[in-house]
Amino acid sequence: MSDPFVIETADLRKSYGGVEALRGLTVRVPAGSIYGFLGKHGAGKTTMIKILLGMARPTSGRALVFGLPAETEQQSVEIRRRTGFVSEDKDLDDSMTVEEIIRFTRGFYPSWRVDLEQQYLRTFELPLDRKVRKLSRGTRTKLALLLALSRAARLLILDEPTSGLDPAVTEEVLQSLVAHVAREEMTVFFSSHHIAEVDQVADHVAIIDRGRAVIAGGLDDLREGYRRIQLVFDGAAPDVSFRAPGVARVRCEGRVMTVVSSDGAERILEEARALGPRSVDVFPVTLKEIFLETVSSED
Amino acid sequence: MLWYKSWLDTRWRFLIGLGLLMIVACGTLFDYVATRQLMPLAGSINATGEIGRRIKEAIELEREYRGFVWLQWFRQNLSQMGTLFAVLLGSGGLLSRASGGGALYMLSLPASRNRLAGVRAATGLAEFLVLVVVPSLLLPLLSPAIGQRYSIVDALVHSGCLFVAGAAFFSLAFLLSTVFGDPWRPLLLACFVALALAASEATIQGFSRFGIFHVMSGEVYFRNGQLPWLGLLATTAVSAALLYGATRNLARQDF
Repeated sequence: MSDPFVIETADLRKSYGGVEALRGLTVRVPAGSIYGFLGKHGAGKTTMIKILLGMARPTSGRALVFGLPAETEQQSVEIRRRTGFVSEDKDLDDSMTVEEIIRFTRGFYPSWRVDLEQQYLRTFELPLDRKVRKLSRGTRTKLALLLALSRAARLLILDEPTSGLDPAVTEEVLQSLVAHVAREEMTVFFSSHHIAEVDQVADHVAIIDRGRAVIAGGLDDLREGYRRIQLVFDGAAPDVSFRAPGVARVRCEGRVMTVVSSDGAERILEEARALGPRSVDVFPVTLKEIFLETVSSED
Repeated sequence: MLWYKSWLDTRWRFLIGLGLLMIVACGTLFDYVATRQLMPLAGSINATGEIGRRIKEAIELEREYRGFVWLQWFRQNLSQMGTLFAVLLGSGGLLSRASGGGALYMLSLPASRNRLAGVRAATGLAEFLVLVVVPSLLLPLLSPAIGQRYSIVDALVHSGCLFVAGAAFFSLAFLLSTVFGDPWRPLLLACFVALALAASEATIQGFSRFGIFHVMSGEVYFRNGQLPWLGLLATTAVSAALLYGATRNLARQDF
């Protein structure tokens, strides 16, 4: 993989009529990463994925995949040749049988991996002679995953891959995905609104809200940078604003002031101690807290 | 593989159409025996006005086997049913599948939208060609069974005219399918246009000479032995414009 970033978007905007689905989205997905694209329903995750795959055209801005512009038809074909995709609804041709859709898809990819196809057929126990329309949601997801993984893609784009699955199938799908990525050299970009799922498998994350990335980076760096500082005062917590950089949110409730920092805690702590609190505690922050703090702060 | 997929999408419409048209073609053939027996009674029909003129014209045409075949098969049965199946084969496609699933999957494959539309259109047109040519070839093949002969060249020329002009209805349905997400509106609108054109040709004096059904039936060839080049070129141009419009419409859409 020569490009440092497999996906790069800059100030990407998309409007449907008067509704802005993306409002200047900038994201960079490093090669070889498992990139979680986290956001609430309607945040713009699916729109972004559709633009990357040439299914929708951006209103403005830039979207590059493998360094190729996604809005150009010919380049988009090349992007799709190197990319596996599983849509949120596990959109497949319902009229075909499992065997037919595998044969049909195989025809588009000269580098199709028959060994992986056979392996996932066994692992997922897919019924070859059954019509796709008669498959359960879980089996349909497994089939979609088989079709995406067997094409020897360098990039895998998954839109809410575990949406509508029970916990057992979710776990099976995620484990298969992680095991696959561990064996093959590839980048995974997956959208989800399940924080635990992203926390479990991703090494990079972007939190998107109302069509904008509010946070993006390595998951470990985010965990390292984010801190929750809790100050308890003798009386009511003072209403102050901090000058130190990286203050994501300040909340006062009675005698307790909670400061969420996105850039370490040292400089904020210096300012906080100057306020004369009775106690100061610093806590690590989970991805769930980061998500809730950043997304809700936009409301 | 896209050809295979297009075939899977349209095969039942095509096979039902082929079976139906072959049955009707055989029926038309054997209907001639009954018509010939009734012909002596034709002189007693005393209708007046436009209807009377048309009845007399039909009787005159049906006195000869060639005229009977042209009137019953190429001008009536095949023109009407061919139009219906052209519209049926043109309806559906990528956008229509969006409501029933499969559109995003197709769009995620490494094939351009132009290629997807092109293969779908080519498959449909090839099926339409088979639908009009194969049943028509039954006529020269089976005519000896009732003691008649019908020229294979005439069958090919008439069905060729029907295919070229009828492709305009296919293309119209194809274009409408890129505009509407459901399968019904393209079908109904294209059928409505066909009915309106047929009604115009039947009621407006002088218009029928320029009408699409006039070209489809190959009436000029039947009467004068000449191909309706102008009509064929005009309908080909209309079909090409409609198909081009469909591909442009598909290319600019967001899914």
